[in-house]
Amino acid sequence: MNSHRKNLLGGVLHDNIVLSGLMVISPVIICGDTLRNALALIYAFSAITFLAVLISSFVPKKLPYTAKIIIYALISAAVYIPVKLAAEEFYPDSIERIGIYYPLLAVNSLIVFQTEAKFFKMKKLDMMISLIFCIIGFDAVMLLTGFLRELFAYGTINSKIVDVNTLINGLSEPFGGFIFLGLMCGVYRFIRSLISKNDKQLRSEASVSDK
Amino acid sequence: MFLINDLITLLAANLILSQALGTSTIFIAAGSRKNLVGTACVITLFTTIGSAAAYCIDAALPSALSDLRLLFYTLIIGILYVLLLTAVYFAGRSYFEDFRKYIHVSAFNCAVMGTLFTINKRAAMDSSLFELGEYVSAGFEAGIGFIIAALILTAAYRKLNSSKVPSAFRGFPAMLVYLGIISMAVYSLK
Repeated sequence: MNSHRKNLLGGVLHDNIVLSGLMVISPVIICGDTLRNALALIYAFSAITFLAVLISSFVPKKLPYTAKIIIYALISAAVYIPVKLAAEEFYPDSIERIGIYYPLLAVNSLIVFQTEAKFFKMKKLDMMISLIFCIIGFDAVMLLTGFLRELFAYGTINSKIVDVNTLINGLSEPFGGFIFLGLMCGVYRFIRSLISKNDKQLRSEASVSDK
Repeated sequence: MFLINDLITLLAANLILSQALGTSTIFIAAGSRKNLVGTACVITLFTTIGSAAAYCIDAALPSALSDLRLLFYTLIIGILYVLLLTAVYFAGRSYFEDFRKYIHVSAFNCAVMGTLFTINKRAAMDSSLFELGEYVSAGFEAGIGFIIAALILTAAYRKLNSSKVPSAFRGFPAMLVYLGIISMAVYSLK
């Protein structure tokens, strides 16, 4: 039961697609330097991934692996069109800034490969719950990255000037994105190991008290 | 001197170090020499042939339908994916077993798709680059850039995965920080 729950809800902390799986990291590194970009990417990623995986789940499972992968990618590329048209209404400035990373979200490995390796092995309801938590996991990382990088690179939050004494301009550059994400991955792993240590300790204490 | 200039240009235009395209794939490639050679060869094939096909699409696609570009690019990569798998299958069973995984990993990733979109963007900004030769050479350069970045990562792969690195930072986090430092050096070349 516990592992089943972990499988469903793990996308946020235990098995985060960015910090643990290192999937979809290019947009986080390059475009995750402001909150506005982060919000535009969150909208696009969430909409494209959810719809594409949902539609792809109706693709016959008997097809050869290669054919299925191509069909998933094509479905995702088709879903991208209405999502982008809607984004032009809501985030016109960010679309320009995000540039080529917007279409790249549509061919992310969560849609193309994880669908086959993970999601389609689950029941439909479980798949949807797990998918939503994976998306929330990406959204949380993107939001945190956008917030912190904007704060320390530009001294603003959502384009509003904030009183920050130390500005690190390099955080807005790609190399800043690499280093920031690397440090975030390290901190995430550290927290995860602390939690799993606590869990083990609790379990061993419980088993001792059971005896 | 020309060689050094070319190397500096290749590094400065490197899609991984300057645009973070294909970072996850490079971590797979840097794991062993066999993976590095296999993945780099297949990615270079995809970017080079894909760029030629992308030129045809860009030339034929009216600007009013530019939102369909991703769909067509996906289609050509899909066709290339099948063709490569078929070619390797007929080349021999052992080749197929060896190269199949590299083709699967390389087909739909940011390194390949990002290269096609980057070339298209450059050509849209500078019309002199809108030529088949320019597209193909840019695609090939992107593949070479991937190899260079993978070699740089391979050089430090063992140390970044060694027990001397704190366990929380061992592996991917250390490699990301390392790539960041290399990217910073490349940034200064621009």
